[in-house]
Order: sequence, then structure tokens, then C-alpha cells
Amino acid sequence: MINLAQKDIAHTLGKFIVTAMGVGMLLGIVLIMIGVYRGMMVDAEKLLKDINVAIWVVQEDTLGPFAESSRIHEDLKDTLKVIEGIDKSEALTFQNLQLYGLEKPVRVTAIGFDPFGSINPVNPANLIEGRMLQKSHYEMVVSTETGFKLHNKIKIARNYFTVVGVTKGTVSSSGEPLIYISLKDAQELQFSTPNASIRNDRARGINVSGDIHTVNTAVATLKEGYNAEAIAKKLGMWKHVGVYTNEEQTTILTKNLVERSAKQIGLFTAILVVVSTIIIGLIIYTMTLEKMKEISIMKLIGIPDGIIVKMIVQETLLLGFFAFIFGNIFSHFIYDKFPKRVVLEAPDALGLFVVIILASILASFVGVGKVIHADPTVAIGG
Amino acid sequence: MKKEQSIKIENLTKSFGSGDSFVSVIDGASFTVNKGELIALVAPSGAGKTTLLMMIGCVVNPTSGQIWLGEEKVYDNRWLTNNSRQIRREKIGFIFQAHYLIPFLNVLENVTLVPQTNKVPTKEANAHAMELLKYFDIADKAYNKPSQLSGGQNQRVAIARALANKPQIILADEPTAALDTERSISVVKMLKKIAAEQNVAIIMVTHDERMLEYCDRVMKIEAKKIVFEN
Repeated sequence: MINLAQKDIAHTLGKFIVTAMGVGMLLGIVLIMIGVYRGMMVDAEKLLKDINVAIWVVQEDTLGPFAESSRIHEDLKDTLKVIEGIDKSEALTFQNLQLYGLEKPVRVTAIGFDPFGSINPVNPANLIEGRMLQKSHYEMVVSTETGFKLHNKIKIARNYFTVVGVTKGTVSSSGEPLIYISLKDAQELQFSTPNASIRNDRARGINVSGDIHTVNTAVATLKEGYNAEAIAKKLGMWKHVGVYTNEEQTTILTKNLVERSAKQIGLFTAILVVVSTIIIGLIIYTMTLEKMKEISIMKLIGIPDGIIVKMIVQETLLLGFFAFIFGNIFSHFIYDKFPKRVVLEAPDALGLFVVIILASILASFVGVGKVIHADPTVAIGG
Repeated sequence: MKKEQSIKIENLTKSFGSGDSFVSVIDGASFTVNKGELIALVAPSGAGKTTLLMMIGCVVNPTSGQIWLGEEKVYDNRWLTNNSRQIRREKIGFIFQAHYLIPFLNVLENVTLVPQTNKVPTKEANAHAMELLKYFDIADKAYNKPSQLSGGQNQRVAIARALANKPQIILADEPTAALDTERSISVVKMLKKIAAEQNVAIIMVTHDERMLEYCDRVMKIEAKKIVFEN
């Protein structure tokens, strides 16, 4: 039996391909939106995986250091060391900076850590050029996403920092590129008060201590055989700190921070899928309308509805299929042009494929309805 | 020799609307068309020629009456079949004023569409279609699309399509209207030959009186009634 859908598509192949490409671009955007969500999830967990600790100690009653502001004293890292089960502990700072020196200012997240300490947040696997920090001052390791190169000198506040290492794929939970500086530099940048302010505060009668030994969090790894939850519970009994296990910190980042964004993206994606379905439906409706004369002739000469309906459904499915293929190609062409991480995963594409096939079947109903109600006498102007 | 009946119509009526908008188109039509006959159907525009043809072709519902196609009674104040399209596919061939070929199918596919729908094996359907195309001298155009053929060639393909399902009846609605006189006469002669050779009953609607001499009988619709002219 002649495959009418195949013949009809071959007859207007150029038009069909352009239509499929148009719908495909829309589906490509759907895939990119899903990829943006996946990228957010990856980014949210990336920093935690790189730092790779078991316990996060932050300011009491806060969701610090990422979801809420947190300030604790640096010496807490030494207190942690004496707790049974704690292997290593360090203090870290996190702050947002705007760096200059390139054509456009660059927003970054700066991580301050002790270059000579026992926990290094720079994952060696990410270091693609240069070295780790080896001095207590004015060195920095930057992510390639910042645009800075090895040996660049970048002015931050009053001092110049030299880029000694370059990492790849290191971003904060919000997707901003990371820079790593020494804890002392970070504390000075974040907590030191300018001299003029100190003088003004003194004139107001405010006693300014000038102590900058403050950090945003103290982190710790555990000795083998110790349970993070048990130690976190024990540390939580201290009244002046908040304690999270790495899993809890991951939950804070992915659920609390990303969830709203994920819902937003999910809603956008759902709307785009609905719009794609409507567009496919309208295209099929138009394609069916264009063929009404032929459909009426076929009905008149005795071709059963089943064969004509099969043609419409097959054309819709083929449109959905090719649009999906074009969408995939399109999304793979553009995904790395986005400033933040976009992760395209096969299961997401497969999920979209199933949705698009179902949407195509749904969309074909408008064409099928038109076929079933077509009057054969239209063919002869009756 | 007794002529075999191909179409029999008894008291067929067709009307539209009711009350003030009631319009009667065909009133009590009764006639028989035998196998091998070419009948011309002549009437002014709007007299119901196409409506009558479409009622015989099981496309338009009559208001009342009886219709036999061959020996099978298909209508008796209601359709006696729930698959009128199967009757059309198996018993009737249609030819229209324009060729109305499917533009996305080539000539051979247009001719074999109905037989293949009737489950005739592709090879057999293609062989018969090629025979018909040779008969109409367009076999060399078998793999061309209708858009690549002239009007006359397309009309010959349309006639081949009407014959492809080996019908008992051909209903031709002004098949020569779009052709010049020479081609019109050629088409009508061809229909006459087909009717005789293939024992098919043909009803041909025409406005062109020059075609009537080639037909066996002339049927007219006058005041909603069917009358035959010798």
C-alpha cells in the first residue's frame, strides 16, 4: 500500500524541513531550559564536592555560608580539631567581588582559605594551568570563566593580585566563576575597616576593635569510622554555632536555593512544551486545510477514513520526530554559548522525545477531526 | 439478447429544507442503465445533474426511493450498507470536470490508489494500471507527477483511475468541460469505447450538445423529472 504521508512530505520536502526546523528550534530552547536547570543543580553541588568536607560550622541560627550571611571567629577551626572524630579543620570565607582589568567588569565569588592549611578547596583535578597558592598574600587562582590569564595582575581594593593558577569549570552555587585567595587577604577584603571609618567611629564613641579574624564558616573532615550526623549533633549542642553535615548543606543549596529557580524554569519549560504542541497542532491543521481538496477527492473515490487519518497522524509524528532531531542539533550547537552552565543529558532528551510524540499525537487530533468531517462533495464543488 | 441492468433507480427524490425553504430537486426519478451503455445527462445548471450523479454514487443521501447498483439494492429509503465508500471503491469509477488527481502521487500511484486500497496486490495493481496507461497512450508518464502533465494527459489519467478498480459503473461529471472540442470528442469516443469493450455503464453529465451523438441515450431533467430523448 502506498504510504501517503511519505509521498506528501516528499512532495513538499523543503517546506516540511523548514517547518520541522522552526519547531525544532523551539524544542531546542526547551532542551536548553532543562539544561540550565541541570546546570544549576551541578553548580550548586560542584563547590561542595570540590571542598569535600563532612561538617560545616556556621553562625548560630543561620543557613550559612551560602544561603545566608554567617560570621564566626576563625579560632573555631582550632576548637574543632580537639573534638573526637574530627580529622582536619579549616576556616573559609566566601564573598562576591567585582573585578576590573578586562573589557567588562567580572562578577566572581572569592573563596578565602589558608594556603598552608590542611584542607584545600581547590580541587587539583580542576587546575589546568599554573599552581596552587603558595604565599599568604596577593596571589590568586582564577577560573577560566573569569577571562583572566596566568600571570595577569588584578587590582582588588588597594592591592594587586597575581594570577598563579587557572582552573576550569569552577563556579559558585549561583554559577559565578570562582577565584581563590589566601584567607588573610580575604579577611582583609571582607572584614577590615578603612582608617577613615575607624576614626569616624571613634569620634562617635564607638569602640572599634579592628579584629579581622572572622570567617564565614569552619569546615572539617572526619576520621574513618565516625558518623557526620552524630558529630554534627554533638557540635550543635554548642549554643553559639549552627552545624550542618555536607548532605544538609547540599540540601540547603539544591532545595532551598535552587528550588524556586527550578520551579521557574520548570514552568517555562512546561509553557514551551504546551506552545510547541499548539504550534504543531496549528501546523498540522494548516497542512490538513491545504489538502482538503485531495482529502475530499480521496473520500469521494472511496478511500476509507482510516487511511487518510493514518496519513495525518504519520505526518504529525514525523514532524514531531524531525523537530526533535533538529531541536537536539540546535541545542548542542548553542548550549556552550550561554554564560552559565548548561548540562544536556540524554535522559532529559528522551523524556522530551516521549512528551513530543504524545504532544504530536494530541496535535494530530485537530487534523484528524478535519478529515473525519470533510465533505466529499467539496471535491466537485457540491 | 437481454441487456444486463447496471443501474436501476425507482421513485428517487431529493429535496432540501422544509417549510418555506423547501426545495425539491429530483422528484420521482425512475430509470435503468444497462451494462455497456453510455448515457448523456443533460439539464440546465442547478437542475440537479450532479446531485443525481452523487446519489447514484452513494455520496449524497436521497430523500426517498430505491437504488440498485448491479443486482445489489443499496438504497431503499435508507442506505442498506453502512460502508458506502466500499461500494464506491469496488463498483464505481468517478471522472470529474477537472482531473482531480492527487498532486503528491505520481500517475501510476494515482491510478493504483483505489485498487491497492481494495487489497489488490501491488504488482497486480501496477500491471493493470500500466495496461490502462498504455491504452490511453500515457504509459511513458507513469512516474511523472500530475503537475508535469498537460490538461488532456491528466484527464486521460483520471479516466484510467476511474477504470483501475474494474468498475461496473462510471459516473462522469462534465468530463469534457475543460477541454477543447477536438479533445472533448476524443474523450467521449474513448468513454463510448470503454463502455462497449469493458461492459461498463457510463452516465456522463454534459452541457455540450455536440457530444450527444456519441451517446447511446440522452437523459434530461425537466421539471425535476427524468425524461429520455431518443
